[in-house]
Amino acid sequence: MGSGKEAAIGQGPIGQGRGSLRNRTGLRVAALLAAGAALVMAAPACGSSAKASGAMEPGVVNAIGAENEYADVLAQIGGPYVHVSSILNNPNTDPHTFESSPSVAEEISAAGLIVQNGVGYDTFMNKIESASSNSNRKVIVVQHLLGLPDSTPNPHLWYDPMTMPAVAQAVAADLSGLLPSEAGYFQANVQKFDASLTPWLNAIAAFKAKYGGTPVATTEPVADYMLAAMGTDNLTPFGFQADIMNGVDPSPQDISLENGFFTNHQVKVFCYNQQVVDSLTTSIRLTAQRNGVPVVSVYETMPTPGYDYQSWMLAEVNAIQNAVANGVSTEHL
Amino acid sequence: MHWVFEPGFFSSQPVHVAVVVGGVVAVVSGVVGVFTVVRGQSFAGHTLTDVSTAGGSGAFLLGLNPLLGFVGIGVVGAGTMDLIGVQRVRGRDLATGIVLGAATGLAALFLYLDTTERATTGATQQILFGDIFIVDPSTIPVVVIFSVIALGAVAAIYRPLLLSSMSSDIAAAQGVPVRLVGLLFMLALAVSVGLSSLAIGSILSTALLIGPAATALRLTRRVGSAMVVASVIGVGATWLGVLLAYDSFYWGSSQQSLPVSFFIVMVTFALYLASGLPVVQTVTGRRASDRPTEEEPRSPHS
Repeated sequence: MGSGKEAAIGQGPIGQGRGSLRNRTGLRVAALLAAGAALVMAAPACGSSAKASGAMEPGVVNAIGAENEYADVLAQIGGPYVHVSSILNNPNTDPHTFESSPSVAEEISAAGLIVQNGVGYDTFMNKIESASSNSNRKVIVVQHLLGLPDSTPNPHLWYDPMTMPAVAQAVAADLSGLLPSEAGYFQANVQKFDASLTPWLNAIAAFKAKYGGTPVATTEPVADYMLAAMGTDNLTPFGFQADIMNGVDPSPQDISLENGFFTNHQVKVFCYNQQVVDSLTTSIRLTAQRNGVPVVSVYETMPTPGYDYQSWMLAEVNAIQNAVANGVSTEHL
Repeated sequence: MHWVFEPGFFSSQPVHVAVVVGGVVAVVSGVVGVFTVVRGQSFAGHTLTDVSTAGGSGAFLLGLNPLLGFVGIGVVGAGTMDLIGVQRVRGRDLATGIVLGAATGLAALFLYLDTTERATTGATQQILFGDIFIVDPSTIPVVVIFSVIALGAVAAIYRPLLLSSMSSDIAAAQGVPVRLVGLLFMLALAVSVGLSSLAIGSILSTALLIGPAATALRLTRRVGSAMVVASVIGVGATWLGVLLAYDSFYWGSSQQSLPVSFFIVMVTFALYLASGLPVVQTVTGRRASDRPTEEEPRSPHS
């Protein structure tokens, strides 16, 4: 056998030059270790610059909105008395798949007030909060604020017109607890915030009055609360929306049904989640476009820059109205 | 028939696409799979699936069709494995394992970036475990082209491949360029694995590659007829899996269908087990210890 011969030849040099081989091996191991050590030492140098943001100024509350729409409301209520940051703020990724990082944990442990969604949307927040316990920290879980059970199927609570006024009120109450002397300022901001929602609420009411019952299709339940408030009839089965939201295989029956809404012109508008795009949702969007059904992009995360919560929500309603009334697509807000 | 083919099965477009893509891919997997089993390269085949995982997840990142990623990087992986010694029996498992490790590491990075940097929530599930119902119809011509390439390559080198698979020493003595033939087969294997990754996911694609082939080689000792039997088994398992997945929508009250890849792989596995039953072995006159043979065990130049 050829392999046996090869092995025998191979053994020769090892037996003869064992001493020199060991030295060379030692050198190589040392070089590898040195390279590894260099990498390890380089790493903290990159990380240290992010640390400064956690610093506490007197009279200013470090506040975190787990999603940037909640951070926006925190900033509107707290004004100069809060230093606000958000965790989920990239409109190009799916918030459902967020993975936390050490710098996020550091921010959260330094926070005095946190607003998070709940309903399993930002479970990572609970993990980090329990890892860095702080009895002075106030946490507003929007799900609990609204009295919703854990089994609530649609977690996109901020599309519900009832949600943010309640959040604004709770934020003002907690900030007043932390900075009692500014309670009047926070309460005035709540009034201002509620008033600023009027154009959005009016647009919803006007749409409902004129286009109530309009059949629509969606990929995900992102804007479902708002679509319900607008009086639309979402034909897409919730099971399909949940499958896309959870990144699992939708059934072939639901895929056929969804495509049929467009080929049979059963819907007037297709609300497409711009933040969860795969070959299936793309092909459904193309089917809608081929059949002349206008497409409106809905976002999970507030698109920035250029929008605050109120103007973002108003823009979504206007886009849907424009689609239904004029057949115009809005593929990017 | 209603309780076999649930309503809408024959008019469903996702089913049409699944039947066409699944059928074509199963034939390629059957043909390439028989040689993979005969040559003892199942591990190399599995490694190429891990390599194609990296390709598929990379394609998602770039917004390309995953099939291009599966096949493209699979071909690169096959070439790399050939370069670092997959053709030598001694170094083969080592070369294969090292490429496997690197490819899986890349896949871990790409899948992480897919979910964190890009809006592709379903990427991990779709790449690893596949979903033949959501293959875009526009992919079908690409599937057919790759299939023709893979089948054409095997057909072109059939005789020398067969001979070098039986005994590379004899093949070399008869003037067969064993290494070149081995490399060409590896490339065909990479294309085949890429195709089955599209159909049932990259992790599961080994099942479609070697399952029907191993079953067929229990039923017939001739390599040529084993290819036909493996193709038939593969196509049958794929179509039955598609039907079961479609029907599963109506099994519970939840109106959700179970993953189609699960059904395809389980049917393949059940057929393999069934082929080992004594009654099947008696009917086909095969024993597990029999080695596959050439159809015409004479000279390759005849």
